[in-house]
Amino acid sequence: MLPLTEDLTKNWLREHGLPVPRGRAAASPEEAARVAEDMPHGAVVKALIPAGRRGKAGAVHLVANPPECRDAAARLLGASVNGHMVQRVYVEERIAIRDEHYLSLSLRGAHPEILITRSGGIDIEDVIRTRPDQLVRAAVDPLRGLAAGDATELMGRAGFDTTLCPSLGVLAVALYEAFQAADALLLEINPLAVADSGLLSLVGAMMGIDQHALFRHPAWAVAAGALAPSSNPRELSVAVANRELPGGECQYVELAGDIGLLVGGGGAGLYQHDVMLELGGRPANHCVTPPTGTDNRKLKAVLAAILDNPKLKGLLVGFNFAQMARTDIRVRTLMQLLQEKKIDTARLPIVIRLFGAGEEISRKMVAGHPNVHYVPRGTTLKEAVRLIVELTGSVRDKAAS
Amino acid sequence: MSILIDETTRVIVQGITGGQARFDTEWCIKYGTRIVAGVTPGKDGETVHGVPVYSTMLRAVGEHRADASVLYVPAPQVKTAVLEAIAAGMRLILVTSEYVPLHDVVHIVAAARNAGVRLVGCNTNGIISPGKSKLGGVGGIDPAEMYLPGRIGVCSRSGGMTAEIGLALKEDGYGISTSVAMGGDLVTGMSMAEYLALFEADPDTDATVIFGEPGTRNEQEVAERARMGSLRKPVVALIAGAFQEAYPAGVSFGHAAAAINTEDESASAKQRLLQAAGVHVAGSIEEIPRILRQVLGQPPYRLNGQQEKSSA
Repeated sequence: MLPLTEDLTKNWLREHGLPVPRGRAAASPEEAARVAEDMPHGAVVKALIPAGRRGKAGAVHLVANPPECRDAAARLLGASVNGHMVQRVYVEERIAIRDEHYLSLSLRGAHPEILITRSGGIDIEDVIRTRPDQLVRAAVDPLRGLAAGDATELMGRAGFDTTLCPSLGVLAVALYEAFQAADALLLEINPLAVADSGLLSLVGAMMGIDQHALFRHPAWAVAAGALAPSSNPRELSVAVANRELPGGECQYVELAGDIGLLVGGGGAGLYQHDVMLELGGRPANHCVTPPTGTDNRKLKAVLAAILDNPKLKGLLVGFNFAQMARTDIRVRTLMQLLQEKKIDTARLPIVIRLFGAGEEISRKMVAGHPNVHYVPRGTTLKEAVRLIVELTGSVRDKAAS
Repeated sequence: MSILIDETTRVIVQGITGGQARFDTEWCIKYGTRIVAGVTPGKDGETVHGVPVYSTMLRAVGEHRADASVLYVPAPQVKTAVLEAIAAGMRLILVTSEYVPLHDVVHIVAAARNAGVRLVGCNTNGIISPGKSKLGGVGGIDPAEMYLPGRIGVCSRSGGMTAEIGLALKEDGYGISTSVAMGGDLVTGMSMAEYLALFEADPDTDATVIFGEPGTRNEQEVAERARMGSLRKPVVALIAGAFQEAYPAGVSFGHAAAAINTEDESASAKQRLLQAAGVHVAGSIEEIPRILRQVLGQPPYRLNGQQEKSSA
């Protein structure tokens, strides 16, 4: 899920006719002050980062006038909040709130789900834990969508005043439409406020969208490309490759062990990781590599990250018996990188289990390289894992002695 | 028999003029699959490996009776193409495409259910009823290397692992009635429990092997059915991904669906649930045929429907 920043979420909701407080993003204290000039009842200044819990992190300030707004923005800009560097703030008019409620829409399974409670303004996890009886949860039929009558009914069940239910029902329907049109996986309104004026207002709004639907939302593609904070340069480089290169997904997670895993990321990757732990080996990473066609750049990015890990003492290239992919693309990429990085395989045992199309060429490519074990056909995934665990163990012992 | 497909199944390939579709179509035909037509908008009149291509599903079914379609269309077009296949009367639809937006997936899954259509995938690498027919890339150019005809049903969340399971079974002399890669996404058309119900009803399947992963409730549903007694044939389960529990929560290990949402979606919780429900849980691929030998007796007890079941 790609979380959108508050400005993008609220602009989207506003475009869908929903009642969102007036607000705008600002990149400098002066710009923030100018936005607040138009807000006679004061403003709220928030760090504009794609993450929640900003209030707890001290990244939300209430200000009475433009000079205060300038100061608050100056304090936030450039600061680090929940691991994100604050480059912009969101300045929003202050709403006098009478009641705070909660409504969310999520898609995590075969049916979208709506969750409503009158107890808003606090973490929903707390409500789930302490007041589960106040929660109303319902599945939405993806073909029919959310009907106004059904939504109004749900509001009644959540305990809302009968005079408020119809307008909340209409609001929920509009939210569902905005949720679906955005390809959102989560849209959380907290608080869903009833202002002193009696009008509904979406004061808190957080939306996370489906990264596979970005082709329908090109304007979000750049904004949503903000990478999760990672202090590991190898994880970061793979994340950048994943974002910027074409083809399927790639991923690299570094772990504390010393055996590199070059796997597909599907079932066989999970299985080999299980088996390695069971046999006492310690994986240096987990990874996801896309099926590789002519463009091997993502594979190369992942493999480079694995080989650059200073803890690396062994490498397993372990894939399912190839039904569709070619083996030689993977092996050629490996051999190229070993050469580029001047890695002496005498000191880095490598076990390759790659069967299928192109295997003959693949075996020729590794022939003559010391310590590169291209296991014979018929070797099981488990046997290949055992071999690399043993070989790495002896390298480790040699280093220790 | 077998489930879902056999030598009589008549198939349309949607998106047949694409690279992967051409490749798979060629090898499916060589394997014996009856591919009667292909569809690619704007490519009316072309042929692919002798298969006539039409612009729409309706034109294709107008010329050729068909029961099933397999989709190779790009993710953005999957929703439209599936709805078109449903409207054209397909009873079985396979979606090989990856990264289909989830809102589209839940829509087509619900639409297929409403129409009583069996939807396999998205992101399936195919179904094979060895010796009869295959749909999708499963088995590559030489399916016989991995999939022997026989009496074991296979249902896997991972396409690649169907090959490993097929190899391990073959090594021990066991063949397969049908092997299904159900797709590893968060939401799929048919669920694992639904495939097991089909194997349960298939007179030529004696036992089923399932391969599961963390995330989703597929394996829990299987455990539930087993516990209720609605699975009388032996089920052997291999559930991978328990390693995730050895690392701090919140570390992501790829595969959207393999993200654990709740405690009981972890691999080891699934293993426990299945075990408690009477499913045979295997610790490795090698163990699968050993368990089958214990519960079924010596293979091969019927190959190609020719040999009789051994008395063991």
